[in-house]
Amino acid sequence: MDAYFYIILVVGLVSTVICLGAGILKKAPNDTTILSVAAVELSLLVYLVGSIVRVAGGEQMAGEPWEFWGYLLTALLLPVGAVYWAILERTRWSNFVLAAVGVTALVMAARMNQIWY
Amino acid sequence: MTAKPSHEDIGTTAAPAAGAPVDAAPAAALAPANDTRNTGPGRLLIAVYAVFAISATARAGFQILTKFSEAPLAYLLSAFAAVVYLVATVSLAKSGRTWFKVSVAAVLVELVGVLVVGALSLFDSVNFPHETVWSLFGRGYAFIPLLLPILGLIWLYRRRPAPKKA
Repeated sequence: MDAYFYIILVVGLVSTVICLGAGILKKAPNDTTILSVAAVELSLLVYLVGSIVRVAGGEQMAGEPWEFWGYLLTALLLPVGAVYWAILERTRWSNFVLAAVGVTALVMAARMNQIWY
Repeated sequence: MTAKPSHEDIGTTAAPAAGAPVDAAPAAALAPANDTRNTGPGRLLIAVYAVFAISATARAGFQILTKFSEAPLAYLLSAFAAVVYLVATVSLAKSGRTWFKVSVAAVLVELVGVLVVGALSLFDSVNFPHETVWSLFGRGYAFIPLLLPILGLIWLYRRRPAPKKA
C-alpha cells in the first residue's frame, strides 16, 4: 500500500462518515457533504496524475495495466455521478448515495494498489 | 449549509434508523404516482445496484477475455450475474407496471442465484473453485450480494403498483 492509497483511505472514510452523518440527521445534500465527495475526487485525481508520472518515468506495474487504468477511470466517474444525482434529488437519501462513494473509492484504491505491486 | 428542508422528509415522524434505509420510506410524502421506485431510499438501492452492475460486468468481461478456459462455468455465471444486475438497475430506475414486474423478476433471480451459487460453492468446491460475485454468498463483497435482493424485495413490496382498476 502506498501513500496514494492512504490518502484515499483517510479522505474516503472522512467523506463517508460526513455523508452518513448528514443522512442520519435527515439533512439534504449540502456544501459540506458535496465538498467531502469532491475531496475524494481530488485525491483520485492526485492518484491519476501520480500514476501517469510514474509510468512516464519508466516504472512497470506488476499486474495488467489496462485493468489498473480501468479501475482508476471508473473510480473517477463515481463521485461525479453521485454528485450529479444528489443535485437532481435533494433528499437525505442522496447523502447515503454520496456516502457510498468514499468506501467504494477506498476499495477500488486498494485493488489498484494490488495490481500495481 | 442550506436551510431548505427536504420535502421528502416532511411526512416522516421519528424515522427509526439509518442502518435500515427501507424502514424510513416516507411513502405517503412521495410522488403522487405510486408507480415509481426511483426516489428516496430507492435511489440508494439503484446506486448500489449500479455499482454492482459495473463491477460485475467489468470482472466477468475480464475473466472471459483472459482466462475463460480455466473455469467456463464459473465465468459464465459471472457474466449471468452481471446481466442480472444490469437488468435490475435499469428496471428499478424506470417507472410503470411492466418495469415493476421486470424488477421483481430480476431481484428474484438474483436471490435464487446467490443462494444456489452460494450453497454450491460451499458444498461442491471442486466444480466451483473460481470466484464469482455470488460465491460463498457474496463473501468477497461483504455479503452485499446476499443483502441486496432482500432489501430490493422489501422496497419493491412497499412501492408495488396499486391494483388495477377494472
